[in-house]
Amino acid sequence: MFRALFHDITCNEPKKLIRPAVWNTLASIANLMPFGCLAYIVKQIYTHIQDGTPDRGGLWLAFGLMVLFTAATYFLENIACKVTYHDGFFASAEGRIRLAEHIRKLPLGILTGKSSGEIGNTMMNDFSRTETAMTHILPQIISGFLVAVIASAVMLIADWRMGLACFAGFPLSVIIMLGMKRMETRMAQRLNASATAQSAGLIEYLTGMKTIKAYHMQGENFGKLRQVCTAHRDNCIRSEGCIGSMNLLAAMLLRCGLPLMMAVGVHLLTGGSLQITTFAMFLLLGTRIFDPLAVAIMNWSELNMCAAAGQRITKLLDAPVMEGGEDAPEQHDFTVENVHFGYGDTEVLKGVSAAFPSGTMTALVGPSGSGKSTMLKLLARFYDPASGTVRMGGRNVRDIEPEKLMQNISFVFQDVYLFQDTVAGNIGYGKENATRAEIEQAAKAANCYDFIMEMPDGFDSMIGEGGCTLSGGEKQRISIARAMLKNAPVLLLDEATASLDPENEAQIQQAINRLAEGKTVIVIAHKLKTVAEADQILVFDHGRITESGKHDGLLAQNGLYARLWNIQNQSGTWKIHS
Amino acid sequence: MRKQTSKKKQGIPRLLEISGKQPKLLLGSILLSVLGTLCQLVPYISVYQIMSELLHCAADGGVPNEALLLRQAAAGLAGMIGGYLLSYAGGMLTHTFAYRVVCGVRLKTAEHIGRLPLGYLNGSSIGRIKQILEGDAEQIEAFLAHQLPDFVSTAVMLVTMFIIMFRYHALLAAVCLFPIIAGFVCQFAVLIKVMKSGGVQKNFDALERISASSLQYVNGMPSIKIFGQTVRSFRSFYDDIIRYRDFTGGMTEMIRPGFVGFRMFVLSVAAFLVSAGLLLYLKDPGSISFVITFIFFLILGPAVTAPTLKLRNFSENMNVITEGVNRLDAVLNEEAIPEPLRRAAVCNHDITFEHVAFSYDGKQETLHDVSFTAEQGRVTALVGPSGAGKSTIAELIPRFYDVTGGAIRIGGTDIRDFSVDDLMEQLAFVFQESFLFADTVYQNIAPGKSDVAREDVIAAAKAAQCHDFIMQLPQGYDTKLGEGGVYLSGGEKQRISIARAILKNAPILILDEASAYADAENEYALQQALAALAKDKTVIMIAHRLTTIQNADQILVIENGTVSECGTHEQLLGMNGKYAEMWQAMSASSDWRLAK
Repeated sequence: MFRALFHDITCNEPKKLIRPAVWNTLASIANLMPFGCLAYIVKQIYTHIQDGTPDRGGLWLAFGLMVLFTAATYFLENIACKVTYHDGFFASAEGRIRLAEHIRKLPLGILTGKSSGEIGNTMMNDFSRTETAMTHILPQIISGFLVAVIASAVMLIADWRMGLACFAGFPLSVIIMLGMKRMETRMAQRLNASATAQSAGLIEYLTGMKTIKAYHMQGENFGKLRQVCTAHRDNCIRSEGCIGSMNLLAAMLLRCGLPLMMAVGVHLLTGGSLQITTFAMFLLLGTRIFDPLAVAIMNWSELNMCAAAGQRITKLLDAPVMEGGEDAPEQHDFTVENVHFGYGDTEVLKGVSAAFPSGTMTALVGPSGSGKSTMLKLLARFYDPASGTVRMGGRNVRDIEPEKLMQNISFVFQDVYLFQDTVAGNIGYGKENATRAEIEQAAKAANCYDFIMEMPDGFDSMIGEGGCTLSGGEKQRISIARAMLKNAPVLLLDEATASLDPENEAQIQQAINRLAEGKTVIVIAHKLKTVAEADQILVFDHGRITESGKHDGLLAQNGLYARLWNIQNQSGTWKIHS
Repeated sequence: MRKQTSKKKQGIPRLLEISGKQPKLLLGSILLSVLGTLCQLVPYISVYQIMSELLHCAADGGVPNEALLLRQAAAGLAGMIGGYLLSYAGGMLTHTFAYRVVCGVRLKTAEHIGRLPLGYLNGSSIGRIKQILEGDAEQIEAFLAHQLPDFVSTAVMLVTMFIIMFRYHALLAAVCLFPIIAGFVCQFAVLIKVMKSGGVQKNFDALERISASSLQYVNGMPSIKIFGQTVRSFRSFYDDIIRYRDFTGGMTEMIRPGFVGFRMFVLSVAAFLVSAGLLLYLKDPGSISFVITFIFFLILGPAVTAPTLKLRNFSENMNVITEGVNRLDAVLNEEAIPEPLRRAAVCNHDITFEHVAFSYDGKQETLHDVSFTAEQGRVTALVGPSGAGKSTIAELIPRFYDVTGGAIRIGGTDIRDFSVDDLMEQLAFVFQESFLFADTVYQNIAPGKSDVAREDVIAAAKAAQCHDFIMQLPQGYDTKLGEGGVYLSGGEKQRISIARAILKNAPILILDEASAYADAENEYALQQALAALAKDKTVIMIAHRLTTIQNADQILVIENGTVSECGTHEQLLGMNGKYAEMWQAMSASSDWRLAK
């Protein structure tokens, strides 16, 4: 049980606890020693009162030791403080980086199954919690318990009856605390669930504001937010009440030791089997001895909460990364054999087989929702198929190291995501250490040089907060520039020209043509005209390839493709009339 | 006005003001905590009573009064239990209060954000606001629930203890007080250093930055994967993490000497006491009365340590709370879109732009001198290069932003004179990017409406060409979308948002690239549905494909933030200007083929 706890809090590196725990325990012991001296002094004074002559030397020696131990405490605490905080901060920074690195290697499916709020929470708050656990809570608990063990041993040796009375409540409070663990775990889970719901609610409220406003449902949506927030609030209060009452009980039982010891002492004293001096010493120690333990008890439930946070981190870290360690093959043709794939329960691809020969262009067409985008994502190995295989150059992509596979692929997404960075930075993601000249060249090729130069700081203009607002078409062109810069042998285009204006479209299309030269190109297009000359057209319908061939052949088949072609020529001259 | 009143109050009073909660609960809980803390002194007194009885017996060789001693033990037990119970009750009250305050503040701030111009919200500010509403608010909770009652009760306890001690023996009391004062001097020296370095704000800033960049990292994952970024090369995130680590490490180094010094002094109260006590005692070893006093101090003096250590947390967190509240205030002080006091009536739904100018940042003008009228019952199309300001024009109509110059009128009334509700009532919108709620399909088509007949929702879905794919979802219209539910393709999402607009059936319809993602098969039917919907309405549509708008009643060519040409398709072609140029470019690109 403790092993698991230590593992959770340190994210599976319990060794990190040793240094802080050792120094904190040493500091706590040093801190307790002056009270031993104090007890000795009190005992001496009581003895003198009985027989009259004070032992000056002994008293001053005890005082000298007190000062010495206080100085030692200062010294040890200084080190303990340095070690625990330093280690804690480094551990959580390392942990955050490790987790971020790990997330990157996971199949995207694991991310889409979770809200970005959930992962963000783990990244931020859960690491903060484990950090607190490592720097504050656990060292205090460990040293508190060790001190209790040492003190009780000493007291038992001094007088076992008084020692026993003093620590009578201790086992009971330990039982309560251990028994609490299950309740606390349940509470922690419930709290985390409501916190996540609150997070997701906030994110939906903030990101959906445009729609919320347009349908003036601030009230409605706000009501939803209010609901998750108040639910979380009530959960917090409830858990505080339950856990607080248990903590209270445990601490109370522990501290019952002092009154019990008084009663036992009085009984033994009148029975004549306890000396007044010993009793006085025990009483004095009794006022102090519970402090570190009481702190430890109060911290225990918080430690469990932190352990739950650690568990969430380790759970993410334990999610298997995409395997594969081989190099990418030289050839860049893809074959897909009987691939099935779905998000959750809904199967999106239902047995797709196709070949994408190297250096040719394949177009994926068909109704939206028919699985075209998913097909591209499987080729880029954002996901692994549920069954069937995807091969590049004859090698199963599962066997290729994901990063090496990615080096061969450029992807222009339907929804462009630009980072909060400069324009040059955003384009520069395409190639490590790209020079400014290369970036500008890519921008020119993607036809975004002109509008970039019109921005206040040109290529150094920030995109995102406090920066420039770009239109959909401008964003798209920046993402194309990024792909230009990468210049990978495989090019995947998902509706790359959907949001471009006609004037730019022509130029972008030329740019894409340049980019596509000699590459394996797989393109999704709604406008069939743009792909009519593709080497191969695959028609997707309900997760299957229903037709394939060249434009003329497909028209002659008079199937879905022919129908789409005809409709499109009609709707091209659509009339919206009042 | 508002800014002035908020300037006055800071920290806790301001927090109470924001949340609108009465501090009665807080005062009650503090009272209970104080009583509880005082009760906790009782066991010390009991120990003292017993020890002094023992001392008398030791001195005169008498027999201790057993009944008195047992009574003392019972009193100690009662005091301890009573103390815990009172503290628990007080603690529960404060927690209830604190969580209510925080929840109130959270909702109030969220509500306020709903009234701000949309420009306030974007990718990275969302991460920041999230950190303020979650992380910072949590710290406020911890402060209110723990530190504040702790502070008051500890302060009361310390004062009580010192009053008792000073009445007993001024010199020994002063000796106890000395290390406490010395400790606080260490502490304040550090605190001032931290304040001077701006450490608290920096800490908050660093946390906000990590929060924002981690959100970006997760949301941008597809791009990060494809461009082979590692955490290390995804610089902003990595830098933020490392910077935070180094910052907190540096802060600790700065705080450590004072922190440890403080602890050392406070922990050494006993040593100070013993040195003075021994000197006095050894001067006159026979004085029982001094020994009793000394014992009293040895029991009570070190008991000062624990509460004093707690006080330190308070002084440290006081800064944190003030900064947290300041951050909330920064959001709350953002100017909301002003609402008119009087409600304006509408006679028709013509939209008029009069010399409209607009700038996102107050520096660069995105729109200047835009004037046109979009008449009711007619279709007005906006065309032009991307980035020219088409979407901005559309987004000014629902007052996502307010114009920086000129005016926009609906039926002759300035839109700033409508209440937000009245304005939105007149508008239906289909955005370029469709946003779906994590809710059922049904709720997404009829958001916020409980009084809509199911047939109407289905009719809207059919018109928007989404009925068929909805029926193929596992639970049809009751399928949950988004997180933990079904994910839709871009085209499907857009059709749902078109169904939403169709159902709303408002007199003004604004379409921003409404059919960009529609596929060929649906597009024709979709356009027919929109055409039916557009009847008798004021329609403003943005389109890239000129063929889709060539029959519009009025086409506005937007270039560099202003209207450069205006007319019908034929008129514009005849002008042989920008539109004609675009038309030719489009004809060229339609003939263009993606080819080897």
